[in-house]
Amino acid sequence: MNIQAKTAAPSADISEKQEKTSSGFKAEIFRRYFRVVHALFAVLLLVQLLPDKLKTETYASYVIWFAVGVEVLTLVVSAFIKKRESLNLFVDIVAFVYALLTAWTLATAKFDLLKAALFPPPGKVFWQFIGDYDKILTNVQSSAGIILQGYLLAIAAAIPLGLFLGWSARLGSAATYISKFLGAIPPIVYIPYGIALLPTFRSVSVFVIFLATFWPVLGGTMSGVMNVEKKTIDSAKVLNVNKFTMLFSVILPASLQQIFIGCNQGLTVSFVLLTSAEMVGAQSGLGYYIKNYSDFGDYTRTIVGLIVVGIVIVFISFIFNRIQKFLLRWKQ
Amino acid sequence: MSKIEIKNLTVNYTEKKKSFTALKNVSFSIEEGEFVSVIGSSGCGKSTLLSILEGINSPTEGEILINGEPVTGTGPDRGVVFQHYSLFPWMTARKNVAFGIKQVNKSASRAERYHLADEFLEKVGLEQFKNKYPSQLSGGMQQRVAIARALAMDTDILLMDEPFGAIDAKNRTILQELLLELWENAEPRKTVVFVTHDIDEAIFLSDKIVMMTANPGRVYREIRVPFDRPRNRAELVQTKEYNKFRNELLSMFYSDIVSKIGGEEVVL
Repeated sequence: MNIQAKTAAPSADISEKQEKTSSGFKAEIFRRYFRVVHALFAVLLLVQLLPDKLKTETYASYVIWFAVGVEVLTLVVSAFIKKRESLNLFVDIVAFVYALLTAWTLATAKFDLLKAALFPPPGKVFWQFIGDYDKILTNVQSSAGIILQGYLLAIAAAIPLGLFLGWSARLGSAATYISKFLGAIPPIVYIPYGIALLPTFRSVSVFVIFLATFWPVLGGTMSGVMNVEKKTIDSAKVLNVNKFTMLFSVILPASLQQIFIGCNQGLTVSFVLLTSAEMVGAQSGLGYYIKNYSDFGDYTRTIVGLIVVGIVIVFISFIFNRIQKFLLRWKQ
Repeated sequence: MSKIEIKNLTVNYTEKKKSFTALKNVSFSIEEGEFVSVIGSSGCGKSTLLSILEGINSPTEGEILINGEPVTGTGPDRGVVFQHYSLFPWMTARKNVAFGIKQVNKSASRAERYHLADEFLEKVGLEQFKNKYPSQLSGGMQQRVAIARALAMDTDILLMDEPFGAIDAKNRTILQELLLELWENAEPRKTVVFVTHDIDEAIFLSDKIVMMTANPGRVYREIRVPFDRPRNRAELVQTKEYNKFRNELLSMFYSDIVSKIGGEEVVL
């Protein structure tokens, strides 16, 4: 009897599901694919077919290929995303990209409303991007390498130190004031010392990013440790944990959220610092790429550089958020 | 020699230049394998007493002896269940239990710890929830995990500070029965100090009830609970003896409060 009931249940479930899918199939297709974004895609393609007003080559085919690529991606993603909200978000972003490209094409290639030397048409930017792909990749690697090195070194040093200082009642309060003072000094002013003490531009950059990250992470860790609930500490104490376990298995996870606030702050400052520093004194990196070509009046490449900087920052923030979400998955 | 001897314990707190006495000359002893409830209205210092037993606080005067040795801090001979926050929110139920085991048994391998943790989670009926985080569990389930951890650590003494105080009436009954069953069936039985403000809970669970009064916290009476084990709540509450005993305790409990407040028109 029992077994029968058990086996009967799933099959009933399946048939119910099938009914649902067959009756709701049209509605589902409609919901997933009947969207304004696809109309915007069509508009973008049609706009490319208008006659150019701009005298120089506009590389309209690159925009078309790009748009077709994005559209295919959108269609594939539309089929797989489960949550309605996520699908809406994705589609809205794509719609924004289409609208922007349409407006950009119209303002440059089609009606020549902006200064052509400063504002190249989108097709030319895509074309340049593909042509400069290798060079861009090297520069991205150079910038990302410096950031990662300085950033990770700072985190590796600041978190254990912050745990130790925050946990020690006496040192902690003094250290809070000291780190507030030292952290208040903009890291960029250490550059002269860095240049005097360190051999290469790269090492100076790592040093400055280290400092830019070290203080916020240290501050975040200490304030996190000091704000751990007494009851959490008590329940660890009654389990008889040793000092090491207390610091790294209890205090560290309990203050993780505050630590991440510090890490986030450090990451933002690091990008600003590095790109500015590269624009002034480097021979490689994304800041250098932008500055170098704008000096030569090559604004197509300048825009390529701007877009790449944006992509790199969004990508790193995305990864960072993922790590944060994973490590804090126990929080609701 | 008693398992736990509490000798002339006095605790003074100073808060914002005002000092007050949480405990005054508290003395009583607990035998090995005994289940003792400490009961009293809020502010009678029962939780302060327990925190000294845990080794988190230290007394102003007096001392506590466990096996004849004075308590100077936390120790691997005592397992604790608090009302809240016993569990670490970043660890799953299973990890919480395994973490507790690791602190008392350093030689156990990871697999052994997890195996033991699973065993005890099964005893408290949570085998299906072992990979959930505390935030995904109800209050009652969290306390089950805390009990599983305390039991899995296999300490001689179990200290429980109003463990079911924040749980709804129905689940509280279930948890009391679970605790009693696990304790009665263990060999040898653990020594338990159980703080509560619920008279029925104290009667149902304990061998001895220590009733405390407030301002300052003192032992008012020590009462032995005269019912045989294993106890069955449904049968027990129907007996005359039970109701008589319960009424006596209640009148003691409230006469104390009335005498403390000193008025005749006390609204309770």
